[in-house]
Amino acid sequence: MLNEIILHPGEHREIILLNEPDTNWHIIQEANSTLLLYVIALPHPNDEVQWHTAITVEHKATGCKTEMYGLALLHSQQQHHLTTRVLHNVGGGYSSQLFKFVLDDESKASFKGELKIMPDAQQVEAYQTNRNILLSRQAEMTTEPQLEIYADDVKASHGATTGQLDDSALFYMQQRCISRETARKLLLCAFFEDVLRTLPNEQMQEDIVEKINEYIG
Amino acid sequence: MLEIKNLHASIAGKEILKGLNLTVHEGEVHAIMGPNGAGKSTLSNVLTGHPAYTVTAGEVFFRGKNLLTMSPEERAREGMFLSFQYPVEIPGVSMVNFMRTAVNEKRKHEGKPALSATDFLKLMREKKALVGMDNRLTKRSVNEGFSGGEKKRNEIFQMAMLEPCLSILDETDSGLDIDALRIVAEGVNALKTPHTASIVITHYQRLLDYIVPDFVHVLADGKIVRTGGKELALELEDKGYAFLNEKP
Repeated sequence: MLNEIILHPGEHREIILLNEPDTNWHIIQEANSTLLLYVIALPHPNDEVQWHTAITVEHKATGCKTEMYGLALLHSQQQHHLTTRVLHNVGGGYSSQLFKFVLDDESKASFKGELKIMPDAQQVEAYQTNRNILLSRQAEMTTEPQLEIYADDVKASHGATTGQLDDSALFYMQQRCISRETARKLLLCAFFEDVLRTLPNEQMQEDIVEKINEYIG
Repeated sequence: MLEIKNLHASIAGKEILKGLNLTVHEGEVHAIMGPNGAGKSTLSNVLTGHPAYTVTAGEVFFRGKNLLTMSPEERAREGMFLSFQYPVEIPGVSMVNFMRTAVNEKRKHEGKPALSATDFLKLMREKKALVGMDNRLTKRSVNEGFSGGEKKRNEIFQMAMLEPCLSILDETDSGLDIDALRIVAEGVNALKTPHTASIVITHYQRLLDYIVPDFVHVLADGKIVRTGGKELALELEDKGYAFLNEKP
């Protein structure tokens, strides 16, 4: 399903995609509009569920701001494939993306992030970060950042890492009387913390933490 | 309190401890000294149940129970505390959340109810004052961005919070200037009771000026090769470990 949205000049829009099945969004931002978008995939009863999410954001006029965050905790044979395209067509815009995935069992995920800054789009700031933790040897993460920068006066960066839960932190917590399961919960919530704290809705923060705890416990 | 009999342990197939014997009673302070690579840190890791080490022979009893079948968290809840040589940074886990979880897990093990938020904060305040821990530090994530001295002081703070019966201080003096060393040692001494015991692992004698041991053991090549009183530490400082290589 394709959702086409135009943010009018000065408009602020929040979009939260929580366990949404296949979706395709095309969002056009007019001058000084702001977008806050979340892609969240939490433990789901269907062990083989697959989510394909594609999001395109286009800055059509100056002064646009886009913030996108995502967190996913997948298990069994679940899959989550996320593609983002951010197109800075004009100068003076800002975009940031922070996506975090935790993969257990034989789950698979991918993040493909295209970031394009066109020749006339001077003084743009654009950031993209993707961090992932694999909880099992069979889990698989694929990351493909793709930056195309044609303007010369911009600030842009991207970074991607995939690792495991820190064993030395787990042992340290166990040595302080904390069970291994509780230590894993604390570390996973800590991993998601920088996404969680940006959520505009406190109740939602708590619900997500509870879902994560339920899964590990 | 602790009885180690003929302990053999290895890491990645390499034997490090080769028949270690040690008995620690309530109220005692034992210092373990020895050259690098003798097995000092292996001993603290094996006692606390670090998964990288394998015990290949021997027995360890802690407060009358078989230590070696317990998980690391069970050992901690029974009252064994390790002050880490290299305390771990845990970004995103706040000191308050970490300590509250730790204290309440221990209380649960002892059959006591969890502390209320008010009582917990009161306990934090008391113990911070006892070990001279800065308020600024307990507002941060666990050890994140702490200096070497701040990390060591945080270990002693955690020890004060958990009130262990056996504390193992693994090279607590490394990376400390003399003032920080004195403050940490004062904290350790303030926590000492007739029912607690400590094992102080150190390469240098200077910590033992502040934490005075009842026994000094020399660990070399995975075994305790000599035991004496506190004067042995001075002798080692003076003469070094060269005697270990002398043939009797």
